[in-house]
Amino acid sequence: MTHDLLEVRDLRLAFRIDKQRSVEALKGISFSVPRDATVALVGESGSGKSVSSLAVMGLLPADTTLVGAGSSIRFDGRELLGLPLGERRALCGKDIAMIFQEPMSSLNPVFTVGFQIGEVLRLHMGMSRREARARTLALLDEVGMPDPAAKIDAYPSQMSGGQQQRVMIAMAIACEPKLLIADEPTTALDVTIQKQIMALIAALQKKRRMAVLFITHDLGLVAEIADRVIVMRQGEVREEGAAARVLSQPADAYTRALLHCRPPLDARPLRLPVIDDVLAGRRAPGAAAQRVRGYAADDEPLLVVNNLAKSFYVREGLFGKREFQAVKDVSFTLPRGKTLGVVGESGSGKTTVGLTLLRLHRASGGSALFEGRDLVAMSAREYQPYKRRIQIIFQNPYASLNPRFTVGQILLEPMRIHRIGANDAERVAHARYLLGRVGLPESAFGRYPHEFSGGQRQRIAIARCLTMKPEILVCDESVSALDVSVQAQVLNLLQDLQDEYRMSYLFISHDLSVVKYIADRVMVMHHGSVVETADSDELYRNPQHPYTRSLLAAIPRPPHS
Amino acid sequence: MNQHAAFTVPAGLWTLAWRRLRADRVAMLALAVVGLFLLSVLLAGAGLVAADWEDEVAVNYAPPGFVGPDPALAALARPALPAPPNAFDPLAGELAVLQGELARRGGGVQAPKAATLPFGADKWGHDVLKKTIKGGQTSIVVGLVAALVAVALGTLFGAVSGFYGGVVDDVFTWFYSVFTSIPSILMILTVAAVLQARGVATIVLILGLTGWTGPYRLIRAEYIKHKAREYVMAADAIGASNWRKMFIHIFPNVSHVALVQMSILVVGFIKAEVILSFLGFGVPVGVVSWGSMLNEAQNELILGKWWQLAAAAGAMALLVTAFSLLADALRDALDPKLK
Amino acid sequence: MLPYILRRLWQMLPTMAGVVVLLFVLFNWVGGDPSYLLAGKMADARAIANIRAQLGLDQPWTVQLWIFVKQILSFDFGNAWSTGEPVSHILSSRLGPSLTVLVPLTLLETVIGIALALAIAFVRGSLTDRLVMVACTVGMSVSILVYIIAFQYGLAYKLGLFPVQGWGEHFTENLLRYAALPILIGLAVSIAPTLRLFRSFVLDEVNQDYVRTARAKGLSERRIVWVHVLRNAAIPIITHVMSNLPALLIGAFLLERFFGIPGIGREIILAVERSDFPVIKAITVYVAAATMVFNLLADLMYQAVDPRVQLA
Repeated sequence: MTHDLLEVRDLRLAFRIDKQRSVEALKGISFSVPRDATVALVGESGSGKSVSSLAVMGLLPADTTLVGAGSSIRFDGRELLGLPLGERRALCGKDIAMIFQEPMSSLNPVFTVGFQIGEVLRLHMGMSRREARARTLALLDEVGMPDPAAKIDAYPSQMSGGQQQRVMIAMAIACEPKLLIADEPTTALDVTIQKQIMALIAALQKKRRMAVLFITHDLGLVAEIADRVIVMRQGEVREEGAAARVLSQPADAYTRALLHCRPPLDARPLRLPVIDDVLAGRRAPGAAAQRVRGYAADDEPLLVVNNLAKSFYVREGLFGKREFQAVKDVSFTLPRGKTLGVVGESGSGKTTVGLTLLRLHRASGGSALFEGRDLVAMSAREYQPYKRRIQIIFQNPYASLNPRFTVGQILLEPMRIHRIGANDAERVAHARYLLGRVGLPESAFGRYPHEFSGGQRQRIAIARCLTMKPEILVCDESVSALDVSVQAQVLNLLQDLQDEYRMSYLFISHDLSVVKYIADRVMVMHHGSVVETADSDELYRNPQHPYTRSLLAAIPRPPHS
Repeated sequence: MNQHAAFTVPAGLWTLAWRRLRADRVAMLALAVVGLFLLSVLLAGAGLVAADWEDEVAVNYAPPGFVGPDPALAALARPALPAPPNAFDPLAGELAVLQGELARRGGGVQAPKAATLPFGADKWGHDVLKKTIKGGQTSIVVGLVAALVAVALGTLFGAVSGFYGGVVDDVFTWFYSVFTSIPSILMILTVAAVLQARGVATIVLILGLTGWTGPYRLIRAEYIKHKAREYVMAADAIGASNWRKMFIHIFPNVSHVALVQMSILVVGFIKAEVILSFLGFGVPVGVVSWGSMLNEAQNELILGKWWQLAAAAGAMALLVTAFSLLADALRDALDPKLK
Repeated sequence: MLPYILRRLWQMLPTMAGVVVLLFVLFNWVGGDPSYLLAGKMADARAIANIRAQLGLDQPWTVQLWIFVKQILSFDFGNAWSTGEPVSHILSSRLGPSLTVLVPLTLLETVIGIALALAIAFVRGSLTDRLVMVACTVGMSVSILVYIIAFQYGLAYKLGLFPVQGWGEHFTENLLRYAALPILIGLAVSIAPTLRLFRSFVLDEVNQDYVRTARAKGLSERRIVWVHVLRNAAIPIITHVMSNLPALLIGAFLLERFFGIPGIGREIILAVERSDFPVIKAITVYVAAATMVFNLLADLMYQAVDPRVQLA
């Protein structure tokens, strides 16, 4: 009987926190990776997908990792657990190779790219320095690195994220491995670069006939490249099978939930289904009805922005300064009760627009008219009363709440500053009400932010904004750092609040599916300028500008449900 | 993802830190030792203990009790015999009158001098144990107060400098560069040379006014880092004033750094005071500190009298070790790796 | 590179000016009138006035400040008040002995520190690691005075392995005979804090992602620590050693005093004891200048060894 290349059977893993306690990471998982195939390992944070791959490579810290008896990891018929360290090392880099999520920190910053790739060749293949250099050049060419002869002596810090990841891939395939493990290799990259790297991995897999274990949280990516799909949740395997079957007819409720919680590109239900709904077999309320979006002719404009510009200055030379134009000439209108989506890749200036509107950056030019007054030209004192009317929710839920404040203090602070409510008792009551409104228990009032998950922290941030009843809410990549299931909850909440309070949203994101779902109008930015603006349905159906077209083409096709 | 119902008491930074510290046995031991020393400082300061360290209660260079009395000094242990009468003494008459006065007032009879003491005696017969305790009071108080001054100044300057940036930062940074261009020892010696007045207050001022640079640099870096954090931007967005942001929002996130700095400085300043007093630039004559004891011990060693060196060095080593271990444990316990 | 150096030198000027002003304020204002000190106990008003005129203390403070600046730029501070020796001669002749002790000491301390720190990195978190760290803490709690007194008494006086004190005429004799014990003591005192610091640098690197990649490549732990980690940890180590060099000149003052080594450190102590202001001023000014220059050199070296840094 021919074995599959990698066979994991009943793998149990726990991490020791201190002398008495340990936390279970894997509860007895089993899966296989056949030769010459791409297997996708899909799961949200905490599912154990990365831990499994690290266990295969033997990269987990030995002193705090407890492997359960009866666990087995067989590679090419050979048992890996319990293998002596020297033999393990002989396998790693040669027969099994791994690439990681953050290429910048995964490469050694003080050695050239050529040195790092050559190291693997000299160690495992016994090549001489000259042979290794020649082979490295060939590898760099194979992974699509522009100008390999120059790049081979460059340092990682001198390259872009996409190029760094290509270096990692070159390093991994240098010794012709039988299995390549890719742990979220494109998550940190822009959508267009992501597409290129995915294509590269697929091409290499076909050419070299190696097995690829591709780990990701994004089911959309999976549909394009995987032959088999394994879905994990909280340390267990929920489903395993051929990709086409799993994605079109999922047997497990969780897989179904994952597929449905993503905002679909071709429909716009009133509410997104949430994992709990799907697991319980409920239909989400309002799932069938569709919401129509777009700017109407009679919308009253709440905010009119004209020619907004923001430049940063970098010191150069002896006394000089160099200008970096983050935002060049941005104009848009935002009516009451509607959402304007701002999309772009990193460096497009979209976040700077939001921060400038809130005067967290000083605008270099242009105007932002709100009720006839220009917000960016006012003095700080004049602006103070406007602060409660325009608010922001940041991207990183772990950084936007003061770790030393209790949730109650976080909610009371803006009320105290703006003197909302007659006394503290009223404020506390209002805070508790808002906690309930965003779906958090009242006991959250006395707890600290670190006791909550990412999605819950975003709700606290939303509640904080609500204390001031703002009219405009800037959502700066507010759901980008959240798991898909949690994303759906927060998006539903934002929509409910917009319906109830008639707030206007400026929704900034790089995620095109989410923006299409939530925005009435979409503005596409590239290198600080607005490239195209249109009603969201129109934009996605009929993009005009070439950049918009390439962005839309790069969206991983979601599986059809 | 899941709601943590594990904590029944809301656990802020200090509660969590205390729990971690309590679990560390070495740290608890160090805390106990430091507590004992602080207690002795309080008692000595209040005069309840070692207030009579200047009494010459023992034979010169009396050895410690566990070594046994020195037979060569036995003669000194006996009370001094009155001098035999001398017919040629021109002052005999006046002396007789004085002695009569003395006898009437009840003094004049010398108590027998002890042959050994728990930790021996120094050149003049002072009790080394009492000197160590009293000396500890001086050295520790200098260390604590100077550290407090240095950290207070450094934190204030660092907060203002890091938060406001711009010209304010430039001015403070210039100030900082000027002070740090001169190595601290040199700075201390120079100021000591210039200030002719000696005293405990002088040393505290010198150490405090030269030691603020360390905390300044760290606190400034912390403020710069936190200012860019999103929770401060959020505070800005909700309308908090600069003062509010600096001291109500940011400071609680930075106070643990100040605390650790203080514990490090206390150790450094105790060691510095000892060296200064040893060289004669520290405490004035008549005040005892571990440094002055080491000064005397240097010459005593040649004569084979080692107990004053052992007492001062040992007490200092014990305190500094305990404090250092405590400072390390504190830093680990306060490590806010809260996600 | 050149614009950066020029800009840094330009930025040093206000700092240097600040040092000059600080010293001037300290010595000419806070320091009080030294003429009483120098005149002796039985001086009369005329003698004191004479001395003040000699020292230029009767001039307005702007003139005095200008004199100070001139002195700095011309390396001529006149004569020491206590011995009459020209201050410039004091500085030039004492530098040699100081360096004879400091250079070998720094080299040995750095090399041994790195080797030990890397060795400890292999066993990090284990009992050995913790014991060594506690030993370092204890070692650091004993005052340097005790080390000097004990070593001098034990090894030199009692056992006679080294001379108790003294300094010779010839360089080799000085290095091997007279400087040996001071260097040994210096090592014993500094090894603990150096090891702690270097260890923290090394451990910071060991926890980085690129180490995980190196393991994934199948590299041996030895190669990872001695090639990958060391090269990264060398950056903070080098900058630390470079910026600390000028302070070492003064820091050895205790060693020099105990062992009678005629170096800069001992000179400073003597000058402070005798309130010899010109000597103190001169040494402080030049050490401050040296510190600034060495900081600049440290930053330039930083750029040379760390490819991520591009000094604008």
